[in-house]
Amino acid sequence: MNTLDFSIVTQSWPYLWSGLLFSLALTAAAFVIGMVLGTCLALVQHFEIPVFAQIIRGYVAVIRSIPLILVLFWFFFLVPIVLGHLSGNGRPIPIGATYTAFITFGLFEAAYYSEIIRVGLRAVNKGQFEACQALALSTYDTYRHIVLPQVLRVASPIILSQTIILFQDTSLVYVLSLTDLLGAASKLAQLNGRLVEMYLVVAVAYLAISSAASQCVAVLRKRYALATSR
Amino acid sequence: MHRETSSNAAQSGAIVVVESLVKRFGAFTALNDVNLSVGKGEKIVLCGPSGSGKSTLIRCINHIEKHDGGRIIVDGTELSNRLADINSVRCETGMVFQSFNLFPHLTVAENCMLAPMKVRGISQADARDRALGLLRKVRIQDQADKYPAQLSGGQQQRVAIARALCMQPKIMLFDEPTSALDPEMVKEVLDTMVELARDGMTMVCVTHEMGFAREVADRVVFMDRGSIVEEADPETFFRAPRTERAKGFLNQIIH
Repeated sequence: MNTLDFSIVTQSWPYLWSGLLFSLALTAAAFVIGMVLGTCLALVQHFEIPVFAQIIRGYVAVIRSIPLILVLFWFFFLVPIVLGHLSGNGRPIPIGATYTAFITFGLFEAAYYSEIIRVGLRAVNKGQFEACQALALSTYDTYRHIVLPQVLRVASPIILSQTIILFQDTSLVYVLSLTDLLGAASKLAQLNGRLVEMYLVVAVAYLAISSAASQCVAVLRKRYALATSR
Repeated sequence: MHRETSSNAAQSGAIVVVESLVKRFGAFTALNDVNLSVGKGEKIVLCGPSGSGKSTLIRCINHIEKHDGGRIIVDGTELSNRLADINSVRCETGMVFQSFNLFPHLTVAENCMLAPMKVRGISQADARDRALGLLRKVRIQDQADKYPAQLSGGQQQRVAIARALCMQPKIMLFDEPTSALDPEMVKEVLDTMVELARDGMTMVCVTHEMGFAREVADRVVFMDRGSIVEEADPETFFRAPRTERAKGFLNQIIH
C-alpha cells in the first residue's frame, strides 16, 4: 500500500463501468418518476383539492424529515409485508432490491421536486393568469402552456441541483446489496486490497459528473434569465 | 365626427350592457349600481381618480372580476357562472393590460398564436399568418421571433394589442395601456389605438390620456367612488364639466 497502483482500476474497468451505468440509470429513473409525480403532487396542493392536498402535505413532510436510508429500509422490508396482506395470503411478497431502489428513489425525490414546483407555482405573476383568462384559455391550457413551462424554467437550476444530490445519494443502494459505482468500487477494493486507488478513482468520477452538471446549472441560469424576465 | 349618446346606443343594438352592477371587495364596495351601455363601434373613455372603480368595471366586463350584483350582457350573452358563457364573452372581448402580461417564455409570434390555436381551434399555419398580419398592423412584424424581454415597453404593449386582436374580438378593453410606459413610448401605443378606432373597433379604454379621448372617444365616462358621475361627449366634458368632482379631477390632471 506504500505506492499507488492504478493498474487495478484499468483491469476492473468493465465492472466499475456497469456500476456507474446503474447509478446513472437509477438517477435518470428517479428523476423522471420524481418530476412527473412531483408535478402532480404540487398541482394537487396548488389547487387545494380537498383531502388529497392534506394527505400529500403530510406525505411530503414525512419524507422530507427522515433520512433516505431509512426510507430505503422501510420499502425493502415493509412493502413486501403490506403487499402480502393485500394479496390475502399473508405471506410477504418480495419485490426485489432493484425495484425497491427505483420505486423508493422515485417516491422520495417526488417529495423534494414537488416542493420546488409548488413554490414555483406560487411565484408566477398574477398577470399571467389574467392574460390567460382574457384570452379564454382553459385551465388545462393555461397550466400546460403558460404556467408550468415558466415554473420549470425558473426552477430548473434548483431542480438540477437537487438531481446532483440525487446522483450522489444513489450510492446508498449499497444497503440493498445493489452494485452501483461506489458499491462496485468498494467490492473490488476489498477483494484486492487497493482501497486508496479505488476510492480515489470513484471520488474523481463523482466529482467530474457532479461538477459537469453544476456547469449545466450555470448555463441554464444564463439562458433562461432572458426568457423569464418580464 | 359621428357620435351617439348612451340612450340611442342602446336602441341601435348595444354590444355591451351593464345594468345595476355591484362589485364588492370584502366590506369595500368597488362598484355601486353602475349602468353603462356601449354601442357597436362606439369608443368610450373611462376616467376618474384612482380607486374610482374604472378598472374594476372593465375587468368585470370579461369576468376577470366576478360581479356581486346586477347584469352584464356582452354581444347577447349574459355573464353567469357558467363557464361556457364566460368563455364566449371572453372570446369576443380582447383585453390589454397596464403591465402587458405577455408570456415571457414564448416568442412574440407564439404569444399571438397560442389562444387562436387552443381556443378558436385554427391551424398553426393559419395562426401564424394571422399573427404576422396583425403584428404588421401594429408595425412590429420584424420582431415576431424575438422574446418579449428583448422589446421596449411600447413594443411589448403593441404586441399585447396584436395578441388580443388575433382572437378577432368584437370589443377591445384597455386597462390603462400607457400608464406603465416611459413617456416617449406612449405615443406609439396611442397611435396604434387610434388606428384601431378608425377601423371601427368597439373600444372601452381606461386612460388618462386626454388627447386620445378628444381624438377618438364618442363618450367620456367619469367615475368616482364606484359610481358613474358624469357622461358626455369629450368636447363637452373637457370644456364644461357639470359636476364639481369632474372639475376637480380635470384640474388635477391638466396642469
